[in-house]
Amino acid sequence: MKGILWVARVQLVTALRERETLFWFVIFPVFILALLASVVGSIGKEGEMNFDLTLVNLAKPSSASVDFAAIVERAFEETGKPPAPGKQPLFTLHRPAPGEDSQAFLVREEKALRIGRRAVVVVLPEGFNEGILGRAGGAAAGPSGSTGGRVLVYYTKGSDASEIAASIVEQVLAGVDQRILAESGRFQTAASVPTETRWVGVGATEIAYVDFLLPGVILMGFFLSGLFGVPGSVLFARDRKILQRYWVTPLEVRQYLAGFSLGHLGLCVCQFFLLLVIGRYAFGAKVLFAELVPVLFLVLSAVTFLAFGFFIAAVVRTANAGMALANLLNMPMLFLSGLFFPVRGLPLVLKAIVYANPMSYLVEGLRTSLGVGAREFPLEVTFGVPLLWIAVCTVVASRRLQWDVGR
Amino acid sequence: MQDASSILMRVTGLEKHYGAVRAVDGISFSVPRASVFTILGPNGAGKTTTLEILEGIREPDRGEIEVFGAKLRRVTRAVKERMGVLLQDANFEPYLRVKEVIALFASFFRRAVSVDEILTRVALQDKAKAMVRTLSGGQRQRLAVAVALINDPELVFLDEPTTGLDPQARRNMWSIVAGLKERGKTIILTTHYMEEAEALSDHICIMDLGKIIAEGSPRQLAAGLGRETIVEFVADHLDPGDVDNLKTFGQGARTDGEVVTLQTNDLVGTMEGLLAWSRERGIPLANMAVRQPNLEDVFLALTGRRLRE
Amino acid sequence: MKAFLALVRAEAVLLLRDRIALLLIFLFPLVFILIFGFLMGGRGGPQSARIGVALASGTDSGALEAVLEGAASLRVTHYALSSALEEAVAKRDVDFGLVWAGEKLVFLYDPSRVQENFAFQQLAQGIATDFNLRRQSVSPLLAAEKIDLGKKAAANSFSLLVPGILAFAVLSAGLFAVSGHLTAMKERKILDRLLVTPMRPVHLLAAIVVVRLAVVYVSTLITLFVSMTVFRVSFDVDWPRYTLFVAASTLGMMGFGTLIALVVRRSSSAGYLANILGMVMMFLSGIYFPIEMMPSVLRAVSRALPLTYMAEGMRYTTGVAEISGLRFWVVTAVFFGMAAVLLPVLARYVMVPERR
Repeated sequence: MKGILWVARVQLVTALRERETLFWFVIFPVFILALLASVVGSIGKEGEMNFDLTLVNLAKPSSASVDFAAIVERAFEETGKPPAPGKQPLFTLHRPAPGEDSQAFLVREEKALRIGRRAVVVVLPEGFNEGILGRAGGAAAGPSGSTGGRVLVYYTKGSDASEIAASIVEQVLAGVDQRILAESGRFQTAASVPTETRWVGVGATEIAYVDFLLPGVILMGFFLSGLFGVPGSVLFARDRKILQRYWVTPLEVRQYLAGFSLGHLGLCVCQFFLLLVIGRYAFGAKVLFAELVPVLFLVLSAVTFLAFGFFIAAVVRTANAGMALANLLNMPMLFLSGLFFPVRGLPLVLKAIVYANPMSYLVEGLRTSLGVGAREFPLEVTFGVPLLWIAVCTVVASRRLQWDVGR
Repeated sequence: MQDASSILMRVTGLEKHYGAVRAVDGISFSVPRASVFTILGPNGAGKTTTLEILEGIREPDRGEIEVFGAKLRRVTRAVKERMGVLLQDANFEPYLRVKEVIALFASFFRRAVSVDEILTRVALQDKAKAMVRTLSGGQRQRLAVAVALINDPELVFLDEPTTGLDPQARRNMWSIVAGLKERGKTIILTTHYMEEAEALSDHICIMDLGKIIAEGSPRQLAAGLGRETIVEFVADHLDPGDVDNLKTFGQGARTDGEVVTLQTNDLVGTMEGLLAWSRERGIPLANMAVRQPNLEDVFLALTGRRLRE
Repeated sequence: MKAFLALVRAEAVLLLRDRIALLLIFLFPLVFILIFGFLMGGRGGPQSARIGVALASGTDSGALEAVLEGAASLRVTHYALSSALEEAVAKRDVDFGLVWAGEKLVFLYDPSRVQENFAFQQLAQGIATDFNLRRQSVSPLLAAEKIDLGKKAAANSFSLLVPGILAFAVLSAGLFAVSGHLTAMKERKILDRLLVTPMRPVHLLAAIVVVRLAVVYVSTLITLFVSMTVFRVSFDVDWPRYTLFVAASTLGMMGFGTLIALVVRRSSSAGYLANILGMVMMFLSGIYFPIEMMPSVLRAVSRALPLTYMAEGMRYTTGVAEISGLRFWVVTAVFFGMAAVLLPVLARYVMVPERR
């Protein structure tokens, strides 16, 4: 027993002192958490985005009535102001200087749009005001596309920024449209149908991205330490005959394994707490792991990847080969599991990998039990597949794992 | 005739094959208690394999081992409790501190001396907190010795304990071995250094190609040659005729490159003949040495090859 | 010259025999492409979002149907029950959902789709506005006409992603290839043995650079080929500029790798640093998220990253996006400049015998 505890302690201590393990299993997951939480979590937020928009007003104000083009222009000017002090305005407006030739300006701006310096170019053509009046004058509700005040929205397809900006422009225009209609009495704003936003799968609140992310990163940490750390450690110790020193003592192989596993699980515990603390205090994560089912999934995950690590150590001959195999399996298993991206619409081969991958179930199970994900598999399957993996890996490893530098 | 309880370990008919290669080809020997028993032989003789079988990390194909009064097919846990092993070129976890390594190994045994005591014994007490990766080669070897002795074993295996060490470290190791023997420990040692075998051993087994080709105390082995004196000199350009001539001056004349070796019981007669021959043929007797036969000579006589290749 | 060619040959043979290194160089971008290609395949977004609707028949549902049909960028799927729709949204069979039971428009979103929901909410707003107008039989006065000025090759998000991934592969290969290889040689004392010969260190460096450059170039070609055949993405590659740019950026990144090799001693540590830098750059360089959607601080960081410009250049030379010609030449020149300045530094300071 003493021996087992000491082996466990040695395993944990060595992992924390060795630069490689410290980096990949402790620093790297923290880094990913921080990077994704701060970058992805802040994407697409109001007050943070900013697109370059060109606005050219070629419309001639019609003498008799309202200058609708000016109304539209003013609406866009609003978007050019920051929503709150210190925040970014949605659009940075580019308009021709007073006295500048609008057509020449427009040609330049279209070129700028093509080379990505502008997200969208909005043009109010010459006959804009007439068009509006014409519409207002008589035509009943008809299919869209009939003459009205045409606004030209130039964008580049395939550029996310441009497409999003164009989409926003459409909404701005729709808003102006509604205001004009309301002011002219044609449209009863009060009679509008209310809209409601609902978040699916978790109840009424929008989950913060970091709550979605944190469980995934924790599992990624367990995965990396199992996939790389276990074979690396075992094979290194075997190849350098560190293990041989143990075998000349009364220590038995199974005692060594028990100690090793214990130490490894200790490492997982360290990873977990570090990520939890950083996730909660640096990024405001609210997920609570303090319930039975999430804890069960955490333990199940740690053990699954530990067993998998032994499996890898058992099927290769040298430490280098072990690391190469781990590198090869690393990305497919991480990405084809729903950890970072949803796995939709995959061809059969890849789908098979997703279904075979224990990570898919562990991720889904953990997230669902924490209330930050949608259930995809029945609970028996979510527990069952990883357990099956553990069984298979253990059997293979116990049969094939060479504890001696073969001779 | 030695009484049974004074034999600590007896090996009978030990065999180990790797395919067609017979690494250990049926060897038997007895190790008396509180002695230094050396297995001497060139690289590839099967010494390490033999030792590994006795240490319990290799399975023999055939043979019996009797140790601590029990007859076994292979070495058990109970036996390992009373054994200490110094492995050849094995390593420690680089990121452990010296005292952690000792404590780790101590935890494997039911009985162990204190960490401080063993560190003092191998003169590593100032390095107790140092990490293994910062230790020099000699310090690592001392750590290995500490680990081998942590359980105060009755039987100690030392596999090539001074290979790769500088002369000072070698001398330190020799004094450790002497100290162990003084305290009543039994030591089984392998080496390919003749001086080491001569200096330390009570009993030597010479192994070659998996078999024991001679055994006895260093003195007995040398005496087994049956010759009192060895005469050596360097001469180049000798014809086969010359070599035959030389044989008349002593027994077992041999040339090994430029070195000519003669064995004789009649030193004066041999010298007279050699000097005359040298003058007659005009071949100078360069680097001439007259000495006692040593294990190198024994091995050469038995196998026609040198101990160190 | 003879020595140089001999070194090139030796390096080439060594690299071709190092299966593991080869695997990583060629497989790495391919795996990325394959995974992301399939994952992105069904990706919604402004260009064609999938909406699921559960409409209770009766009041105004006809008008709502008309609105949905009229929206060019929506693919509509009908669900009988709102519970089924909720499940579909959660499982991402559709991008967002709409439930209409006569009282209010309820839009359903999957909260984990952080960066995409903004776009879907825009679309939802458009539907609501349109619907409200139709209910009152009012037709809109304004009509936005979207005109695409982009290049034809940019058929979808994926075709923009591929050049980004190529840029990333070039970055990794470049950053680590030379500095990592050299530090590994140093560790294994191979470098020392070479340096005591009359061989000039510059020749060795040049040999390593040339061989790896060739390998990286070929790997980008393979990746392009796979994208084109497996995912039917079409590119309009300007081969001279493409080749020039790949060469420039690879060399530039090799030079940049020098800085890492100078700062870091062990080859494994150099690997970590390269990895981290690579990851940071990958997320912040506009390959996955448009820069415009990032907070201003990150946008500034993005403009300082070489990968941003590499991705831009790759998009340009593969014909999926435009940049100004001047910009292309300036960026290319800067990369060549980096190589010209930093690689000799590598020769001088890294290729020295190991101090004992």
